[in-house]
Amino acid sequence: MSDLSAEEDEWIEQQLSDTAQPSVENNLVAADLADRVLSVLSPEDQQALLMIDGEQASIKEVAEATGWSESKVKVRAFRARKKVREAMERLLGSKTTELVR
Amino acid sequence: MNSKHITEALDDVALASLSRSELDEMRAHARDCEPCGSALAAAQLSARIMKERAQVVIEPSPFFQTRVMAALREQQAMENVPAFLRLWRSSRALVSSMALTTAALAVLSFVFAAPATTALDQTASAYSAESVLFDQGGDDQLTYEQVLNAIYTDDEGQ
Repeated sequence: MSDLSAEEDEWIEQQLSDTAQPSVENNLVAADLADRVLSVLSPEDQQALLMIDGEQASIKEVAEATGWSESKVKVRAFRARKKVREAMERLLGSKTTELVR
Repeated sequence: MNSKHITEALDDVALASLSRSELDEMRAHARDCEPCGSALAAAQLSARIMKERAQVVIEPSPFFQTRVMAALREQQAMENVPAFLRLWRSSRALVSSMALTTAALAVLSFVFAAPATTALDQTASAYSAESVLFDQGGDDQLTYEQVLNAIYTDDEGQ
């Protein structure tokens, strides 16, 4: 994954400083960033993560929608979450610690 | 949880499904543990962008319905038009251009045909039956008497 664009960097700064304003532009920047991070996943893992973390669906709902077993959904979601988090950490570098403080 | 790293717990469940007390415990550990701090921050940002991404996917453009309904009405209107009219609409340009070309050719043929006909007439009159008959012999003009002799000689011969 390449470095952050100026818009993405600004969006991150807003999140860190807790000054993020809801706007169409901000939503699109976040969605673009999500696409970049999601690109490290397989389509199935993307689907599982977007349904659970994005749409707040339960494990059972995802299992019913996809036809996968609940344990398979859990494994896919765990694996996807880990990969995305690690990709995000690499992308953000030292900035991430500021968000927790 | 303070002494235990939180990375595995972060990957195990969606952050939105954690209770406030569970999140507070994670934050408390993350303040003292740099790797877990980075992991928590990345997980929080990931959760936010996933939410945004899901909203972008779900929400259609505000004009989407308008465009779909307009296309539907247009299609229905086309189905109500008689077949001949639809054929005419689709071939109108072609038929018009063909008619225009034919008219142009007709005009051109009339304009350029007239001088050609006059020249032909002149040529034809130069070689009329009379002239051929009377001009036999080229420039040699027969006298009136020679003509009479020739006629009567032929009659007598017959």
